[in-house]
Amino acid sequence: MIKLALPTGDLRRPLAALLERAGLRVRGYGEGSRSYRLSAEGIGPLRVRVFRERDIPIQIALGNYDVGICGLHWVEEFLSRYPGEAIVRLGGLPVGEVSLWVAAAPGQWDGLRDLAGRWGVRIVSEFPNLAEAFALAARLPAYRVVPVWGAAEAYPPEDADLALVAASDGSALARMGLVPLHRLLEGRAWVIANRHSLREKDLARLLSLLAACGLEAGGGLSLPPPLALSRVTPGRCPTERSTVRIALPDGHQQRHVLEALAEAGLQFEGYAEGERRPRSPLDGVEAKVVRPQDMPQMVALGAFDLAISGRDCLLEHLYRFPSSPVEMALDLGRGAFNVSAVVAADLPARSLGEALRYWRDQGVTTLRIASEFVSIADHYARSRHFWRYRVIPTAGASEGFVPEDAELLIEGTETGRTLVENQLKAIDVLFRSTTCVIVRRGSLEGPRGRILSTLLERLARGSVAASARM
Amino acid sequence: MSEPLRCRGMYDMLPAHMERFRWVEEVFRRTCLAWGYREVRTPTVEHLFLFTATGTLTPQALGRVYSFLDWDGWSGERVVLRPEGTIPTARLYVEHLSGEPLAKLFYVQNVFHFAEGEARREEWQAGVELIGDTQPLGDVELVLVAHQALSSLGLDRIGLRLSHPGLVRAVLARTGLPPEDQLSLYDGILEGDAEALARVRQRIPELGAPPELLLAEEGQGLAFLRNLRSVFLPVLPELEAPMRELEEVVAALEELGLTPTLSGALVRHYEYYTGPVFRFEVDGRLVGAGGRYDSLIGLLGGRDVPASGFALYLGEVLDLVEPPRPSEVDVVWVQTVGRRPQDVAEAFLAVRLLRERGRGAQVVLSPSQAGVPRLLLGDGRYRVALGGGQEREAASLEEALALLTQREGLP
Repeated sequence: MIKLALPTGDLRRPLAALLERAGLRVRGYGEGSRSYRLSAEGIGPLRVRVFRERDIPIQIALGNYDVGICGLHWVEEFLSRYPGEAIVRLGGLPVGEVSLWVAAAPGQWDGLRDLAGRWGVRIVSEFPNLAEAFALAARLPAYRVVPVWGAAEAYPPEDADLALVAASDGSALARMGLVPLHRLLEGRAWVIANRHSLREKDLARLLSLLAACGLEAGGGLSLPPPLALSRVTPGRCPTERSTVRIALPDGHQQRHVLEALAEAGLQFEGYAEGERRPRSPLDGVEAKVVRPQDMPQMVALGAFDLAISGRDCLLEHLYRFPSSPVEMALDLGRGAFNVSAVVAADLPARSLGEALRYWRDQGVTTLRIASEFVSIADHYARSRHFWRYRVIPTAGASEGFVPEDAELLIEGTETGRTLVENQLKAIDVLFRSTTCVIVRRGSLEGPRGRILSTLLERLARGSVAASARM
Repeated sequence: MSEPLRCRGMYDMLPAHMERFRWVEEVFRRTCLAWGYREVRTPTVEHLFLFTATGTLTPQALGRVYSFLDWDGWSGERVVLRPEGTIPTARLYVEHLSGEPLAKLFYVQNVFHFAEGEARREEWQAGVELIGDTQPLGDVELVLVAHQALSSLGLDRIGLRLSHPGLVRAVLARTGLPPEDQLSLYDGILEGDAEALARVRQRIPELGAPPELLLAEEGQGLAFLRNLRSVFLPVLPELEAPMRELEEVVAALEELGLTPTLSGALVRHYEYYTGPVFRFEVDGRLVGAGGRYDSLIGLLGGRDVPASGFALYLGEVLDLVEPPRPSEVDVVWVQTVGRRPQDVAEAFLAVRLLRERGRGAQVVLSPSQAGVPRLLLGDGRYRVALGGGQEREAASLEEALALLTQREGLP
């Protein structure tokens, strides 16, 4: 059985069409089926599984899948950190063209050479390993990579000096409000294979079919030249702001937050329309829209005074950094869901204890836990005294991991319908997550603290009013 | 067990290995102390930026360090498991000893870097750092310290290679290539790439003599160095300073009976070193290396002060040395038949008293340990078993101890 990993997202439709033209029809793939396991026609026994793009190199490296297709930027992001992993790049396909740019806000830097010897350059990116590779190659002294889940373009110039972002070309970058300093990678969708599968398994039919799609070897990484060294200088002193900065979430939390803001009588113009910098209705308050997962760290760093995030994001941050100064100031009680331990529906266990005993009896030596919440999953495994385990970070679509690629999921579950659809069941609830307001410890003091307190009071009153109506 | 419980690339040190390790460490320590160096130990975890900012490690090497966000690393500042010993020692100097005109420091520490498969990811280095205006005496002293430490470990056929990065730097600068191209050209030269040398020839046609004579050939001592000088200096006067520095060191070493092999290209990250560099080899294996890095202390925020040092690679050294066999420790075994608390206490009391009287002593914890001489306790009796099947009865513990501590008086 050959195992093929295909990407979800924007690549889905053009890739499905390309594969079909070459003679491989994956049922439901191009149509956006919700199922993560698909069947294929046009080739012998083939198991197809759909993953988020960034998970595909991991799955190929682990040997869970023989061949995968994903953007070259995700392959290089993985290999730049783990160069010895068993991934072979086979070639690029004529779809999914994308470049990675080291970019900045207009007027922030004159060019790459302007960075020589600059201390404490902050690079924000969804691609932290490549950002690190860039900084090392450029010999940036004392740089700092700020990994984010997305919306990296929103950070410069206030919250980052550079952003490493994916964009098809310079004009797409300009639409993000950034100017390019260096093109770090030029890529497209690439076919990759597990090295051991390539050596030992007959993949010829699949590979010849993919070759017929028109494999090309162009593009790749282009690291910057080394810049001049300089002396160690004291760290920068953050300048005291007079304005209050708040972070609002994008994605599925946005709906709940819009409601909460409306209840509090706060309308941020442009927020509902997807703008990254909506206008605040209050004097002395600035707002920015970023991913909720990135908020705790940005609040800890002092980039924002207040953020509306989720309890899951806050706990993920606090489990990773127990000394972080971020704390919950207000639970808005909206958008509630459980973070649960999830297993295959047919696992003969009703509790975690039974499941652990079962796996032990079955000779599972290393328990594989797949989760978007790596630190929560790790904390759970430690506090429940698991034997040897491995947390497999996922970028989403986790339901498809069990049972082939993981024994256990730590997953957000709302109604449980998705679990049933994917033959899964929850055996433990870790905690209930809701939308909440987070602040930096001690931030409610001083002049900015007074504005924050007013904001919190209005949000709290709105929350109480909404609860009373329900 | 199919999968080892230890982490890949990490290795246990068993008792025999530890004995060997401690002996090497002790020889090294004694050598350094005799030369007036003082021991330091730096933390296992350091800020990553110390290593990125000083340029002492190549981007490839930096890509293989164990760096991570600490528990309080929410600021995004990464820390690293010490990948080498020089930067932490230089940082220690800047923070604690910068008022001293001369710091002579040494350390024995583990270092960490990722390696493929089962290759070692934790290594041990015995290093020396000399910080202060000491040249050229300092360079000579460091070579002698390293050489003495290796000799004291019983190693002979110690090969010493010497070079100066200024030689390479002068040649590469003359090519007119941008710095990044110079680096890759140099990598090619180190790897014996004929094309890289051909490129140098092409870029510097005025050189006359083939560049491989300077960059790839090796020769012995002062004579070879003077030959190079006569051929290249008229065309490349930038070679004057590095050649003079090398000559000073080589001449002194030859006076002391050490003739180094001179090599134009020796170390990979030549940008870091500013003066003579050296390597020690035994049976073709690299056992240590060092050199001068005058800009390092300044890069770390200290005053500009010259510095140089070396490190011995203990993994290699341990494979090559044969420590003297430790003399057999004459242990008296104390065995109790009874298991009551007072029997157990009496056995440990006997051990204590024996040790107080200068004898090695151990309680027999398992019958497999029972050797001679032995004191058997039980049922109020005291028997002393000696070699050759001799056994003596004693009336009291005191008498038994006397028998065991005055063996020369025994039949």
